[in-house]
Amino acid sequence: MMLSRAVRPALSAGNAAFARAAAPQVAGYATLREIESRLKSIRNIEKITKTMKIVASTKLTRAQKAMTDSRTYGQTSNQVFEEAETKPLPEKKSLLVVASSDKGLCGGIHSGLSRYARRLLETDASLDIAVIGEKSKAQIGRSNGSNVVLSFSGVGRDVPTFADAQAIADQLVLLPEEYASIKILYNKFINATSYEPVIIEAYSEEAITESPNFAAFEIDDEVLANLREYTLANSLYWALAEGHACEQSARRNAMDNASKNAGDMINKYSILYNRTRQAVITGELVEIITGATASEDM
Amino acid sequence: MAFAWKAAGLTYNRYLAIAARVVRRSLKEGPRLQAERRGEMDLRFAKWQNGKQGENKSLGAANADAMAELATQEAK
Repeated sequence: MMLSRAVRPALSAGNAAFARAAAPQVAGYATLREIESRLKSIRNIEKITKTMKIVASTKLTRAQKAMTDSRTYGQTSNQVFEEAETKPLPEKKSLLVVASSDKGLCGGIHSGLSRYARRLLETDASLDIAVIGEKSKAQIGRSNGSNVVLSFSGVGRDVPTFADAQAIADQLVLLPEEYASIKILYNKFINATSYEPVIIEAYSEEAITESPNFAAFEIDDEVLANLREYTLANSLYWALAEGHACEQSARRNAMDNASKNAGDMINKYSILYNRTRQAVITGELVEIITGATASEDM
Repeated sequence: MAFAWKAAGLTYNRYLAIAARVVRRSLKEGPRLQAERRGEMDLRFAKWQNGKQGENKSLGAANADAMAELATQEAK
């Protein structure tokens, strides 16, 4: 049983005859087969990473489109607060929303977010955290579990919808604690190879009413609560969409690098494989010739 | 000025989501299917206490429950 399974890889690649001939010479033959099976698995990995790269590339175009749209949308929604010069109230607690996603295999973008969040926690240990996405949840939950109040999962399968952002915003609004401001931490898309964790602020009602230029707008008190909820959803949507685009682009790069590395390894291993094969053949020839000359003399 | 959705215990976002859903559903068959995909939400969430993750629940159902509770509070 063992033997038949062990022989099977050697039967492929047209060296069946060689396998029979080299049977007694165990050491060289075994490493040759080892190299062959490793080569095969590297080839498979390369195929997988190439496919993932293609998938990520196609998803990236859609994600980027969603990102540009949502960015304009979010910026427009935040313009009111820029005009009003709204500032977060310093004395009250803030909530940090970390917008990562569920999927890995995309380089360091999730850990970049987690690291930034930890740095913020060092300056302000009372910060509460809500995590969107399994990856950052695992990282932040391990180091700062006591600060986490909510975690969301199921993000990142597709381009985030506004319905996602609204549902998350609702759950954040329903939190018992009153937050001075909600900071949304996400990866800003700079170009296809670089991202930067940045923060968008969504302010509380108090912060909005106390903003210096507030008098320039005519806002009823009751409308303000709605505006606040709505801008929270807008900002979340922006952060989710931009984070998603970054993730896809990072995944494309990561898979591109992985395919390249696999290609390098394949080259190295096929050279090694051929060398070993030739060495084995040479060894056999030497044996045959010595045998032949020896029998001739007799 | 009191808002109908506040009286019903809904947040503004929920109210918007419901309004958007109604608009999507009243579309013609072809564009409707496409539009409804934009309204899909399938998130799950968990509350954390003292550094421990609680039970994983569906976000949509939990939001609906919470708002029903708000509505009963509002009615009192």
